Amino acid sequence: MRQRRWLIVLMSPLALWLGLLFLAPLATMVVFTFRAGSFGPEHDVFTLENYRTFFGNPTYSRLLLSSAWISFVASVLSILLAYPVAYYLAFQAGAHRLTLLLVIIVPAWISFLLRVFAWKLILGSGGLLNIVLMAAGLVDEPAPILLYSRSAVIVALVYSYMPFVALPIFVALQRIDRSLIEAASDLGGTGWQTFRDVILPLSMPGVAAAFFLIFIPTLGEYVTPLLLGGTEGLMFGNVIQSQFARALNWPLGSLMSLAVLLFTLALLAVFVRLVRLEDWVQA
Amino acid sequence: MTARAWRSLNLFYVTLAAVFLYVPLFLLIVFSFNDGATLAFPLSGFTLKWYRELWDTPELLRAAWNSVLLGAVSSVVATVIGAMAAVGLMRFRFAGRNLLIMAAMLPLVVPSVVLGVTMLMGFAQINLPLSLWTVGMGHVVINLPVVILIVMARLSGLDANLEEAAMDLGATYLGAQWRVTLPLTLPALFAAFLTSFTTSFDEFALTFFLVGSEPTLPTYLYSQLRFPTRLPIVVAMASVVIVGSFLTVVFTEWLRRRGETQQTNRVDSLAGDPAIDGRRPGPTMRPNAPALGRGSTPRGGK
Amino acid sequence: MRRHTKLYNRIAFVAAIWLAIVLPAACGQPAAEMGAAPETQAGADSLTILDWAGYDAPEFWTQFAQAYPDVEVDYTYFEQDADALAKLQSGFQVDLLHPCSSWWGLYVDAGLVQPIDTSRLKNWPDVVPEMAKLGEFDGQQYFVPWDWGYESILVRTDKVEEIPASWADLWDPAYAGRLSIPDSAEVAQVMAAVALDIPNPWQTTPEEDALIKQKLLDIKPNVLTYWTDASELSQMMASGDVWVAASVWTDTYSQLMADGVPVEYVDPAEGRLGWVCGYGISSNAQAPDLAYAYLDAILDPESSANLSNQFYYGTSNRKAFELADPALVSLFKLDQPDVLQQTVFYQTMSAEHRQKITEMWDEVRLAP
Repeated sequence: MRQRRWLIVLMSPLALWLGLLFLAPLATMVVFTFRAGSFGPEHDVFTLENYRTFFGNPTYSRLLLSSAWISFVASVLSILLAYPVAYYLAFQAGAHRLTLLLVIIVPAWISFLLRVFAWKLILGSGGLLNIVLMAAGLVDEPAPILLYSRSAVIVALVYSYMPFVALPIFVALQRIDRSLIEAASDLGGTGWQTFRDVILPLSMPGVAAAFFLIFIPTLGEYVTPLLLGGTEGLMFGNVIQSQFARALNWPLGSLMSLAVLLFTLALLAVFVRLVRLEDWVQA
Repeated sequence: MTARAWRSLNLFYVTLAAVFLYVPLFLLIVFSFNDGATLAFPLSGFTLKWYRELWDTPELLRAAWNSVLLGAVSSVVATVIGAMAAVGLMRFRFAGRNLLIMAAMLPLVVPSVVLGVTMLMGFAQINLPLSLWTVGMGHVVINLPVVILIVMARLSGLDANLEEAAMDLGATYLGAQWRVTLPLTLPALFAAFLTSFTTSFDEFALTFFLVGSEPTLPTYLYSQLRFPTRLPIVVAMASVVIVGSFLTVVFTEWLRRRGETQQTNRVDSLAGDPAIDGRRPGPTMRPNAPALGRGSTPRGGK
Repeated sequence: MRRHTKLYNRIAFVAAIWLAIVLPAACGQPAAEMGAAPETQAGADSLTILDWAGYDAPEFWTQFAQAYPDVEVDYTYFEQDADALAKLQSGFQVDLLHPCSSWWGLYVDAGLVQPIDTSRLKNWPDVVPEMAKLGEFDGQQYFVPWDWGYESILVRTDKVEEIPASWADLWDPAYAGRLSIPDSAEVAQVMAAVALDIPNPWQTTPEEDALIKQKLLDIKPNVLTYWTDASELSQMMASGDVWVAASVWTDTYSQLMADGVPVEYVDPAEGRLGWVCGYGISSNAQAPDLAYAYLDAILDPESSANLSNQFYYGTSNRKAFELADPALVSLFKLDQPDVLQQTVFYQTMSAEHRQKITEMWDEVRLAP
């Protein structure tokens, strides 16, 4: 019982930090959704105009749904693609684990923007791939490959978030007791059975964490859709961005953000119920 | 398929993934030596002028250094605060616990541009001048959920009985945390720090609302994009970062090797170390193991 | 426990070395580096400027540096006009700021800038009157225009068969999938209005709004992607992804020419668009006298010519063009006396109008 006082010590830095630097601004944001304009006392009046604009325009709610779909596909794909990497790190890399962890994450230290420039060097009309295809006589008029489309956005999201996805899965895999795996194979399980019955279920907390880590931030993405989405791949983050950074309409931008927040929370609630996250986290 | 085949298939896959991650970086390095200012083929000739100009652009060098400092400091703070909270959340049961988890995850849900604007308004109200410190405070907020998620995922597999046992043997609470929990969560802390640092190092949307007159690497980069002729200098800077981080990796590996030769005859098996999970290996365990430990491990708080 | 403590030691060792390198640096210099931002320094030993990146080049303000060698000039960069306004509105302390013409009115309305006494600027009489007029509100000069340039159509001459002669030509199906227009509600609005021959894109009637929106929806099949910055566009043009681009600045044109990409900068029938940016003095400036000195230093013909030669922009000082690169003068057509009248310069736009066109642009971009 006397440990409980440690609870206060453990939690108060988080509570203070989030309270002052996050929840207070969040409350400001909610207040802003009822304001008439971004600045000045003359706009400091209560109005529901922003709500009318937002809900009166089906473009926005449609966009929210299609963005959520893009994020979901990108999340699932990157988990699928990152899992073997995390598995390798945890079980096969041996002593090189730490180094390989760095190898995976270091590319993300280079600005994503520059990496997009680099990818266009490969996939653009004058890019490496087109040069090869032209030389092989497979194309006459070079055209961008895979760029400027919704698929391009998904691929780029997967590419840029994969290292972040691999990390929590790696951490979860690493804590799995090796002897369990040995026991499973001693009992005659094949490699696949061991994986399916032992490793995969035990790594699910990491997979869930990874899912959160990619699904939610990608929903607010605006750089990737802008650079690679062409005319069809824009996401909800883009309209929020243009309210804040172009139109300077903070009230409407705040409302859009609030919409994302509530939408995500609702999705998460469903998700948590479906997969019973608590079972893993509290196991 | 045999285990051996599995292993080599996976090795092949990981190699492919690494190539996928590194090819664009390699192209950036190639173009940092290209004579033309446009990032497009054909290459027009070898030059070192971009590196010379980089050297003559002290703001860019300072921006890079600012980003390193910012990433390191804000990630350490986020890792410490987040790890403490994760321990509290996993080892104690208390009223409002779920609510607190929810609140701690919220920064993930709010787009960073919104966080940036609202924090900017907050700082303006208390007359706090904008600087790298204000950016750092924002980065900690963004990174806290990441740290908490990663550390919680790790703690969920650790037996709380271990610290109990340590305390039964006379350790204080702090002592038990220091001697037992900390070492066991260290890989997760390292992963959390690395993720935070990486996020912070390339964060732009929040940063540029909170930044004062000291630029960070991303804010500098974005501000230069309107000048196509300046892009190669930024590419040269990126190449320096690539080589620098590569050297970090080599350095880490070298440290590891050195540590290894000094400690002879050692076997590395962190993942499989029974001591870590606090469970005894037992051939009698059922292969279907997800239920293992559940219910049998009372929480520290009781 | 033995074995894993070794790994523990190892990670700790690596981490400790990292921290040993980085943390002392962070803690040792906070006062000097991290906290140095915009504290209000008493007296006039520093001048703080909210500016676009790149404008800090010393050759743009040589006379100021000579006259006040001890004054430290501190630059804070912004990326979009909206950010600059947002920062000022939140109480960010600066002496000078450098927004562009379509935002100037918002600063004046919000009381963020003070009137400028142009008699204190000895170079003021050389400023082009058409541009000076843009910075005048209620009979008072609030902004000193400095840099300006064209926005026009840039074409890959080796890729297209017919080079567009007007803004309206961009709708030609011949450019399907090879056109890029900027991701900006303002530019889209002006571009469509000019093509539709709507006289004032900065104050449109609802009927005109509907026409403009439909016109922009009509151009979507031609659009490959919306471009966001000059570096991105220049790569897409050079690579051949984009053959025709709208609203391109002169510096992108000159850079692509220098790199040997066959491009032509069009002189559309409706006239080129023209952007103008300039400096205002913040209403809570700490060093207004230094701000005046700085303004006069950048307006100097030689400083202005340096800007032109370095960035391929124009400047507001007429005398500067005599000193600038002749190629630049011919590109800007400054030898033709009526060129400025033919150019469609961006006018100040109200916050409401900006919000309206942003919503329109969202709907256009997101239309299926």
